[in-house]
Amino acid sequence: MSVLVAEARKVPAFMRRDFLVMLSYRAAFAGDLFYIAIQAVMFGFVAELIDPSKLPSYGGVPASYFDFVMIGVVITTVCTVLLQRVAMAVRQEQMIGTLEALLVTPTSATTVQVGSVAFDLVFVPIRMALLLAAVALTLGLGYEASGILPSLVLLAGLVPFVWGLGLMTAAAIVTFRRGTGPLGVIMSVLGLASGAFFPLALLPEWLQRLAQANPVAIAMEGTREALIGGVGWAAIGSDFIVMVVLSGAAMFAGVAAFRVALAREHRRGTLGLY
Amino acid sequence: MKLAAVRPPAIEIEGLHRSFGSVQALKGVDLEVAAGEVHALLGPNGAGKTTLMRILSGLVDPTAGSAHVLDRRAGRSPELRALIGMVPSGDRTFYLRLSGLENLVFFGRLHGLRRRAAHARASELLDAVGLGEAGLRPISTYSHGMQKRLSFARALLSDPQLLLVDEATHDLDPVAAQQVRELASERTRNGAAVLWATQRIEELHGFAERVTVLDRGTVAFAGSVTALAAIGGGDRHILQFGSAATIPPAVLDGLGSLHPAPGEDASHALLALAPGASLGAAIAALTAAGAEIVSCRDERPPIERAFLAVTTERAA
Repeated sequence: MSVLVAEARKVPAFMRRDFLVMLSYRAAFAGDLFYIAIQAVMFGFVAELIDPSKLPSYGGVPASYFDFVMIGVVITTVCTVLLQRVAMAVRQEQMIGTLEALLVTPTSATTVQVGSVAFDLVFVPIRMALLLAAVALTLGLGYEASGILPSLVLLAGLVPFVWGLGLMTAAAIVTFRRGTGPLGVIMSVLGLASGAFFPLALLPEWLQRLAQANPVAIAMEGTREALIGGVGWAAIGSDFIVMVVLSGAAMFAGVAAFRVALAREHRRGTLGLY
Repeated sequence: MKLAAVRPPAIEIEGLHRSFGSVQALKGVDLEVAAGEVHALLGPNGAGKTTLMRILSGLVDPTAGSAHVLDRRAGRSPELRALIGMVPSGDRTFYLRLSGLENLVFFGRLHGLRRRAAHARASELLDAVGLGEAGLRPISTYSHGMQKRLSFARALLSDPQLLLVDEATHDLDPVAAQQVRELASERTRNGAAVLWATQRIEELHGFAERVTVLDRGTVAFAGSVTALAAIGGGDRHILQFGSAATIPPAVLDGLGSLHPAPGEDASHALLALAPGASLGAAIAALTAAGAEIVSCRDERPPIERAFLAVTTERAA
């Protein structure tokens, strides 16, 4: 237990490091925010073209396309950034030459991995929430405040799934030194079968069945029920259990794959090489 | 008598092997380093010094043989890593966008220090390595030498019982190199052991107690620095004569012999002293025979000669 506490105390050090690094790239940070804001404005215009009757209703409330798609944009962005960060955290340390310096400290590889993601895990949802608030104030979003907490719970249930996928990708990257290809494929499939930008009902039937077991789609639909439909905690239905089970399985498989990949690199003596 | 017999061993290595594919980096290396000792690890490029350091720090597993560090099997245990400070050979082991101070605070916290303690320790070590004023600057503005000194400061963050130093003085000017060596010596006075890999042969005298010479993955020599110097043979000096007087060999009468000096003009000669003969007596004998000696210098430091002897003999 004391070991766990000691390791957990190191995580804020990683968060501070990443915060300071982010501050040192102010232009990139501002550019990133600008890009997301432009995306929001763009979808605002696209929403004008879409007939709301073609969209599903949530909790009996018909959704506008803008309300519908902004939830898709936010959850997709959180998933993409998190997946990318988890997958590339160790690789990035390898590339800049700091991985071995980290691993000769009494810090476990798991702490290095978790620590390297911790800042984004906290910062990205905050950033997206601020964006939603800004869009709601300027362009108008009809979300129910009672849906905020259930939405956060849904997001929390989704995080281990994305993290697990990220760890599996990280294992492939540590082993093969490449991995952006698989990363892109994973994100494309998950994005397509998540209903982020269009209703799932438009998908072919087989893909709709796949979407029923896609934790990203489950989180997205649940969030829409909560924020657009205002159904409160009823948004967390039986499919939430499916999401939690899949998240647990993905996390377990990810941790196992990552450990095997690190042990292999130790044996080969190539961990610090890029 | 082995140092490890009178002081507890900090490193005990027996028959260590490490292969990378078809390349055998280490082939049955034995090594003992006692607590409180600066032990030099000497060897040409590709000798296996860095591989050995990486095994001891738990970054690489050995293929065969045993390596024990501070009574524990070398490996990835966090308890062991807490006792080891490592100065890696490469550059760029820091976050270049952050300051030297922030980097040290970060690594200090990974060693388990709380933020305030990490800050105090980092500031103290920055001063100790002469980077107190540069501490708030981003590392991207540091020279290689400054980064090396910072790397040394990082290795001391946890007050380690074993310091593994890989080419720490490679990029340093003589003053900074001396400063870093002094910090290492200070650690040994507190009971820590230092394994000091280097190619700078001249820094061994008065600094390292014992030396192991690695050559192509095997131990070419292990013993005291004095014993290594003795392999370099008797004293050899380059003499420069003011006039081209012919000196009969009998003049030196058992004190040594004169030979053409390699790479020098005809006014120079190599004086190889016989064992036990003094340089003064040889010069006096030459002067008495009419030779005008303009200058006299060491042909090459004995350790350098010994190093070349133990490595080139094996190559032959």
